[in-house]
Amino acid sequence: MECSFGITGKDYVLLASDMSAGRSILQFKSDENKIKELGPHLAMAYGGEPGDTNNFADYIERNMRLYHIRHHHALLPHAASSWIRRSLADSIRSRRPYSVNLLLAGFDTTDDTPHLYWIDYLGTKAVVPYAAHGMGMHVSLSTMDKYWHPNQDRRDGVDVLKKAIAEAQHRLSIKFTFNAIIIDKDGIHTVDLAAEDPIGKIEAEKAAKAEAEAAAAAAAAAPPAAAPEASAPVAAAA
Amino acid sequence: MDTLVAQLAPSRRGDEGSSSTAEWANNGYGNLDASGAVAGMDVPGVPDPLAFLSMHTDSMSTNPQAKIKLAHGTTTLAFRFKGGIIVAVDSRATAGSYIASGTVKKVIEINPYLLGTMAGGAADCQYWETYLGMQCRLHELRNKERISVAAASKILSNLVYQYKGMGLSMGTMICGWDKTGPALFYVDSDGQRLKGDLFSVGSGSTFAYGVLDQGYKWDLSDEEAQELGRRSIVAAGHRDAYSGNTVNLFHVRENGWEFIKNYDLSELWYEYEEKKKADLAAASAAAAGGVPIDVE
Amino acid sequence: MSIQEYNGGSVVAMVGKDCVAIACDLRLGNQATGIAMNFEKVFPVNDTLYYGLPGLATDVYTLREQLRFRVNMYRMKEEREITPETFTHLLSSTLYEKRFGPYFLEPVIAGIAPPTAANPNPQPYVSTLDSIGCITTPKDFAVAGTATDKLYGAAEGLWEPDLEPEDLFETISQTLLNAVDRDALSGWGAIVHVITKDKVITRTLRSRMD
Repeated sequence: MECSFGITGKDYVLLASDMSAGRSILQFKSDENKIKELGPHLAMAYGGEPGDTNNFADYIERNMRLYHIRHHHALLPHAASSWIRRSLADSIRSRRPYSVNLLLAGFDTTDDTPHLYWIDYLGTKAVVPYAAHGMGMHVSLSTMDKYWHPNQDRRDGVDVLKKAIAEAQHRLSIKFTFNAIIIDKDGIHTVDLAAEDPIGKIEAEKAAKAEAEAAAAAAAAAPPAAAPEASAPVAAAA
Repeated sequence: MDTLVAQLAPSRRGDEGSSSTAEWANNGYGNLDASGAVAGMDVPGVPDPLAFLSMHTDSMSTNPQAKIKLAHGTTTLAFRFKGGIIVAVDSRATAGSYIASGTVKKVIEINPYLLGTMAGGAADCQYWETYLGMQCRLHELRNKERISVAAASKILSNLVYQYKGMGLSMGTMICGWDKTGPALFYVDSDGQRLKGDLFSVGSGSTFAYGVLDQGYKWDLSDEEAQELGRRSIVAAGHRDAYSGNTVNLFHVRENGWEFIKNYDLSELWYEYEEKKKADLAAASAAAAGGVPIDVE
Repeated sequence: MSIQEYNGGSVVAMVGKDCVAIACDLRLGNQATGIAMNFEKVFPVNDTLYYGLPGLATDVYTLREQLRFRVNMYRMKEEREITPETFTHLLSSTLYEKRFGPYFLEPVIAGIAPPTAANPNPQPYVSTLDSIGCITTPKDFAVAGTATDKLYGAAEGLWEPDLEPEDLFETISQTLLNAVDRDALSGWGAIVHVITKDKVITRTLRSRMD
């Protein structure tokens, strides 16, 4: 019993997943992060058989990292989707297949386009503008059908996501908590769904970070600039 | 269970069985006795009729290898709001993946004040809701007033409960207007009977809920409510393989139900997509001060 | 529900006069739930040869990748394009390699070989294979996928010999659209390719979306 959503927009892609983890009728945790960052502009929300999920996600994560180290650049979303799909397709015909479903979301920095892939444990891949896995597929796909529209901005995207989550929480007998991320040209940011204005919060964080970086850069640039200043009194003395 | 089967299967009861069948035929109609009650149902003449039936029939895709495929797969919905009750259904019947019909009437007009919806076994719903109509008329004649929706739905629920475990398959909503105002009950073949404001039943119901829940409020205008019902069925027909073809829309008001219209579901879907595109173009034109400009 | 019907989808191919056509629906489903309406099941091998892979979607990707590799190897070794007949046999042996764990697909092939000295006047060609590579080469049309029964019915009624490209387009389009409208697991858009000796005409069709 799990639930994840992905939504693309003009220049971003949103990914959300429930945070429950358990066995059979027991829920062990309600704050497990089931979204994995696979690179600077790539992440996946995964679910399925407990154990398989963690192992497979780690396997994908490490191989993505290995590629990044070997080639000095990360796999683009499309290439990553092909490799991940192939891993699952090979696995399904192996002695002990992985039973993992995932939504792969990425931002292609070469042409500034968001990408979303719906991939299931068989190795089925669908290239879609918005998608859901788990119980969300049944209750919230139609909600997204109605409220999603192409090229929507971030706030509209978060509104659609909130509607989809509200529907899942309303209709499914299990009570879920969700976490979410947004991927854009600047990388991956966590979306605080409880915040009044999650996008505003991210923008403020971005601005603060940029300011801190600028300050750090200025500080780094300062010593050589400070040197003549320091020598100024000497010159003056001379 | 065996005693119930024995009661309901007069032809297998022995010598006097055949004469009692003939009696019903003379006094009432078919298997209805003189008082209008159902007197018995034939069951297969095998040692375990239930096992025989479930082995050979497939009513809800739970037994796909069975050769006798009963029509199923549906989206139906009904909701109460300040202007009465909206009832909207699709019209697709499938047997396996074959679309057996695209023009099924899934709203059963029990009488001018009562509607029943049809999900699950088509024949089960049709037969028992028609039968319910008869009982409602008898109630009217006996008591000189119309039956309440609560009572009507209880007749149906008590009836199907008698046959629990025998393979009846129906999920229905009984909708009507009585002394208490608009009333809506969900009744299914498990015997469950629920009073409520908003229900959707069938394979596409989860998709219908996805639109219905997000747009529903009590204070909807008549037009808004009808549009919500229509939009929800379109959403379900689009996503669910076993729902679709057309939408039948009904509105129940104080003076009885009214059939609004039959819509082609796919045409509606294209209309909604076009509207989405038009809205987007209008919004971006407005954002650009009425003149479209190149962005970046 | 069988594994071949898990994702839904159908393909049809037809022979015309100096032309062939191949068409498919665009639905990708997860059993009853539609997931994507952009899932093409017909792919080009070269300018005059296309093939369709209805069946289990994971195998559509896997076999397509495998075939792309093998056709490219053929092209480099032989320094010429593969003919429809040869491609059919390549596909057949590729499928039989998985005899004891088959791809859940029923491929359909349509094409016209380019003229050569040995074969100056090649004829339009359509063939189908079963999931482990048994070849059938019908003279008229080939169908596969979840709407197989319905496609046979429509094609038997609509197809006639020696159709010109435009008439063949009309015939295959009507066949596909009417068949998928009676199939719960196919539809959600359709795409048609008409292959003639000197060009390929590709059109997407407006179809029912329920």
